[in-house]
Amino acid sequence: MNVWLAVFVIVLLALLGAPLFTIIGACALYGFSSTNTDISAVIIELYRIADSPPLIAIPLFAFAGYLLAESNSPKRLVGLAQALFGWMPGGLAIVVLMTCAFFTAFTGASGVTIVALGGLLYPILLKERYPERFSLGLVTSSGSIGLLFPPSLPIILYGLVAAVSIDKLFVAGILPGFILVGVLSAYSVRTGLTAHVPRVPFSWKNVASAARSAAWEIPLPFLIIGGIYGGAFTATEAAAVTAFYVLVVEVFIYRDLKLTKDVPKVMIDSMLLVGAILAILGTAFGLTNYLIDQQIPQRLFQFVSQQISSQVTFLLILNGFLIIVGMMMDVFSAIIVVVPLILPIAREFKVDPVHLGIIFLANLEIGYLTPPVGLNLFLSSLRFQKPVLHVARSVLIFMFLELIALFIITYVPDISLFLVRLFGTQ
Amino acid sequence: MKLLNRFDVLLNKLEGWLLILFLSVMILLAFAQVVMRDVFSAGILWGDILLRHMVLWIGFLGAALAASSGRHITIDALARFLPARPRLAVSVLTHLFAAAICFLLLRGSITFIQNEIAMHTTVYNNIPSWYGEIIIPVGFGLLVVHFVIRAMVSLQSFLRGETAA
Repeated sequence: MNVWLAVFVIVLLALLGAPLFTIIGACALYGFSSTNTDISAVIIELYRIADSPPLIAIPLFAFAGYLLAESNSPKRLVGLAQALFGWMPGGLAIVVLMTCAFFTAFTGASGVTIVALGGLLYPILLKERYPERFSLGLVTSSGSIGLLFPPSLPIILYGLVAAVSIDKLFVAGILPGFILVGVLSAYSVRTGLTAHVPRVPFSWKNVASAARSAAWEIPLPFLIIGGIYGGAFTATEAAAVTAFYVLVVEVFIYRDLKLTKDVPKVMIDSMLLVGAILAILGTAFGLTNYLIDQQIPQRLFQFVSQQISSQVTFLLILNGFLIIVGMMMDVFSAIIVVVPLILPIAREFKVDPVHLGIIFLANLEIGYLTPPVGLNLFLSSLRFQKPVLHVARSVLIFMFLELIALFIITYVPDISLFLVRLFGTQ
Repeated sequence: MKLLNRFDVLLNKLEGWLLILFLSVMILLAFAQVVMRDVFSAGILWGDILLRHMVLWIGFLGAALAASSGRHITIDALARFLPARPRLAVSVLTHLFAAAICFLLLRGSITFIQNEIAMHTTVYNNIPSWYGEIIIPVGFGLLVVHFVIRAMVSLQSFLRGETAA
């Protein structure tokens, strides 16, 4: 078969909505058969799924995240954040950013945040008299805001694909993550002031009662972040502890979910996502192996280095490219498919692989919001029954602000790497 | 068609129960490993190998169920803008394509398992590797079945003149 015809058919089927893993599988099969390699070579590579210890973290964190989202913990955490930040101008908006960041870190911008939290928070924002367009834009852009915070599944996946230490990535993501949240928080404060949103006075009593009701959930971030940064355990071990802890807390202590009725449902629901991710990862292992065999990354680099010579231009083009990727693909497949191609090129341009990962995720966060086909726009339009165009208009200002943050994160590598150096290499 | 539906429901249930079983064991075993390693500084040696294989099993079962409920990750940039009827026709096509690719991968994985059996590879002590690997052909087989069923369901609604999948 003619190569271009095959490429055309495969691309067309991808755009028509064939599952991405079958598209990647088709490419791998076509590639291997064109070099007369037996197709069991694809399976040998796929079997590597059972050979990478960090992968164990993915089902465990996904389960914990879905369980949290399904319980009443969003309500409790919103209550706590409200008691802590409600007195500030734009306080409620900051609450939205914080809680969404928390849940996205756990579930990886797979739509869970907008569905589970957006529905809870959007009506509250309107009730507190935040402007409609601001509120819609805020909940939509918050759907992917926490990607840089541990235990973000996309970070784990990047570490795996790029062979970079996941613990280091977790440290590197903190400051850039806060910059992204910070920029949007600043805008929220401004909106709170200009729209004259009424404020709730701060009271220690409220904080105490909100903290008491969320007492079992407050330790979670410390458990994960503290555990990993303190060197007590690895990302995989943190996942094991988190999954077990969340299960015990939500089922036996809060009794939000029933062990025999709700938990199995959450298990299946979360494992559908894991199955979808692993299917792509498995077939992509095969494809990547073929691409490296054919020295495609080197050829790509030769092509690229003829066009651009400086690191600055490379990063600029990378940003533009990744936003388009993020618009078209979800973050998981984007990482699995694109990272192996970009990584060798980035290395030639002296971009640190840890920093590259942060750039990657920050870009994909913005890609989710990018009209016309960014995923969050559709999720939000479905969830809140608004036309996609209206949603797209509402996120423009947020996108613009995130682009500024992205620019800073991209061109000041130390923001990502400073803490990594501080904590030392493990 | 009715029989097919019942078969589909039954298969989904079975996969669901297996998935729940595996994940439950995984959560408990992973936690037990951490406790034993950090508190008693002695984990189970085969524990990690088992856990890693469970990821593979859970992955395939999850993927099979995702195929059944249309939850696989897609780039449907084009399909999203199609009217309902053509979208049904396209869905028949994409599901058949997916089934065909999974069938090829099924054949590849059967060869893979045959090689492993012939070479007597072991995963731990005297346990043959293919015990853990058998989920690969089984999983691709399940994926073929689910994608074919989805294609038939779409085809049926298309022929009946329905407008939604």
